[in-house]
Amino acid sequence: MKARLNIALLAAAIVCLILKGSSDQLNLEDSALPLALCLDLDQNDELHIYTSSPVFGKNIKKKTHEIDVKARALRQSRTMQNEQSPGFVQGRNVQVILIGRRMLQHKDWFRLTDIFFRDARNTITDRMIAVDGPVSEIIYLNLEDQPMIPSLLRGMVDTKSAVSETANTTAQELRRQFIDTGITPSMAEIKLKNKVILLTGTTLLHKNGTYAASLGPQETVLLSILQKKAKPGVSFSYLIPGQPKSGPFETDTLSFSAGKIKTKIKTSYRQGRFQFDINIKSAVTLSERLFPYDVYKNANALEQKVAEQMEGQFESLIAKIQQHHIDPIGLGLYARSYEHKQYKKVEDHWADELSDAKIKVSVDIKIGAMGPVK
Amino acid sequence: MKDYANNQITLLQYIFIITGLQVNVSIVSLPRNLAETAGTDGWMSIIIGWVISAAASIAIIRVMKNHPEGTLLDLLTRFMGMWAGKVISLLLSLYYFYILYDGLTRTILITKAWLLPTIPNFILMILLLIPTYAIAQHGPSVLGRYAELIAYMSLWIPFVYILTLKNAHWLHLLPMFKDGWQPILSAVKETIYPSLGMAATFILYPFLKHKEKAATGILISTSLSMVVYLFFTVICFLYYSPDDISNYNDVVISVLKSIEFKFVERIEVIFIAYHLFLYSLVWIPTMYLTTYCTSWLFRQSDHRGHMTWLCVLLAIGTIIYSPTFNQSDRLENLLTWIGFGTEYVFPVCLAVYLWIRKSSKRRPAHEGKA
Repeated sequence: MKARLNIALLAAAIVCLILKGSSDQLNLEDSALPLALCLDLDQNDELHIYTSSPVFGKNIKKKTHEIDVKARALRQSRTMQNEQSPGFVQGRNVQVILIGRRMLQHKDWFRLTDIFFRDARNTITDRMIAVDGPVSEIIYLNLEDQPMIPSLLRGMVDTKSAVSETANTTAQELRRQFIDTGITPSMAEIKLKNKVILLTGTTLLHKNGTYAASLGPQETVLLSILQKKAKPGVSFSYLIPGQPKSGPFETDTLSFSAGKIKTKIKTSYRQGRFQFDINIKSAVTLSERLFPYDVYKNANALEQKVAEQMEGQFESLIAKIQQHHIDPIGLGLYARSYEHKQYKKVEDHWADELSDAKIKVSVDIKIGAMGPVK
Repeated sequence: MKDYANNQITLLQYIFIITGLQVNVSIVSLPRNLAETAGTDGWMSIIIGWVISAAASIAIIRVMKNHPEGTLLDLLTRFMGMWAGKVISLLLSLYYFYILYDGLTRTILITKAWLLPTIPNFILMILLLIPTYAIAQHGPSVLGRYAELIAYMSLWIPFVYILTLKNAHWLHLLPMFKDGWQPILSAVKETIYPSLGMAATFILYPFLKHKEKAATGILISTSLSMVVYLFFTVICFLYYSPDDISNYNDVVISVLKSIEFKFVERIEVIFIAYHLFLYSLVWIPTMYLTTYCTSWLFRQSDHRGHMTWLCVLLAIGTIIYSPTFNQSDRLENLLTWIGFGTEYVFPVCLAVYLWIRKSSKRRPAHEGKA
């Protein structure tokens, strides 16, 4: 009796699965899987959506298939992409999302990305990259000596962000930066120069999504130190004043890699403005010293000089941030946590408030090791 | 009437049944609901809610102690008469059915949204009902074993959630008491819905092997649920910006999307498929409890006949009607208040009533029935 009942139940389950289980299956052969999704405006400010999908085939020379459609929105563009594609275009394998500079001249472009979050089948860890120039130049670039563009870009962002030389902003992270009132968005920036793709650093955006400024690799390292994201191993290189130069060689160069970096941010509100006291501590390892110097005896003096140089760099970075009315560091999060009442009054225009804030940076550098040679 | 001795459940199984009834599909939107009312202070509401439900659970055990060899229905028949038992058995079966239906439809909605968007609701319903019937028909001891098994199988889930801490922003939790106590207290009502399930004790009590430890058991399970809620809520608060968290419907699932593995693209798919085990801990026990109450009402010794009919009814009912997300939310809101009445107010009143009755009986001057 019992066995019969169990068999009946099992049979019912199988019938159900056979009836309906295969209705929404999609064979890999019938799908096109774009690895890169690109958004840009053309000369007439019309939205173009580009995709780049890998092509599998023995006799096909070009390994990727690019599609360019004019569309109003991403999902709406799907049918037009399907027209040009051998299979159904799927959004779930996108690795990188490129945004053209012309897009960044207009506000509210971020609303177009709603589909990433609303369609549960999309991944949200795609890397966001801003292109300094038109996107089409990059997406149609067919390099023979390099992997296809999407994997090239993804690799670039993942490896360079590991040493903090660019921002590793996923779609989800970008959404946080757009929606959270205490931070403004930033993402990786690439540029095409003489048919070579360069990862030039970080693009900083205003709260509404328009372009504000760019940071180079070294500035990005500093930014990530302020964001408390820098991992041990980030490297710096400075010209130490007072050291002799020799001919065309800049022999006053000192390079070092930082160990664990401790960033402390103290928040206060005084005399009608926010104040942030930022203290950065690190023990560094020298990796390059092109001038004679007795580090044994005079380590302190050298530490001080390096700290001064770094402080100067931090100050100019902060001046840049305040001048453009942005907050890529996320100081608003500190203000919200430690000066909640004052912050709530200004949260809608936090970046403007920050441009008026007092931000002090102090750096404590200790030379922990000088390498195998003296 | 029922064979309690052959269907015993151990204390551990009892703990897991109650915790399973509490921690299930209801947890998916809990962090969002808390954040909507109390911001990132919402985690404190969980602790307050825990104190309240611990008190309510003690009241339930106090009531049941009055008649340890029977269910609440037998107890009421003994103390208040035949009809009280009948009315309560009808109401209680409706209540269990409500939890069952809410759990099932919510699970179907979530499965459809995240996993199988094109499969019709009734097929999913049938697929869920088949294992439910297979387990629930055997009664409490098999329910207990099932709950225990699922609890052990789910031990790895927290570890995966810890991976999301890579992107945690601890600053989100500060400052505490942003806007004072008022929002924290008003968010306590969001913790009622996920705490529902203690009422299973009304029926399961006589099946317990060690009845003297029942109070400890129910306290452990409410505490366990509290820890689980706290864990998931804090994880979500740390990951999502306080300005954004209310935009996600199923926060506890969405947060998994941030995890990246080299070998699997959409980790949350595996999770939802796995979570179905956890979610099943709400409707499998309630399926038994519902049919226990109805078969008690009609004086039948076997609940299986009713269970078959209930399954058929649910399957056919889903073809005709299944709630949308908004309707399901409304069902949930209503359940919060009905559940509050059934699991918090009712047992406390009953405990007070029984206590007064007992103490008045002890006095020799007052005799007769109350």
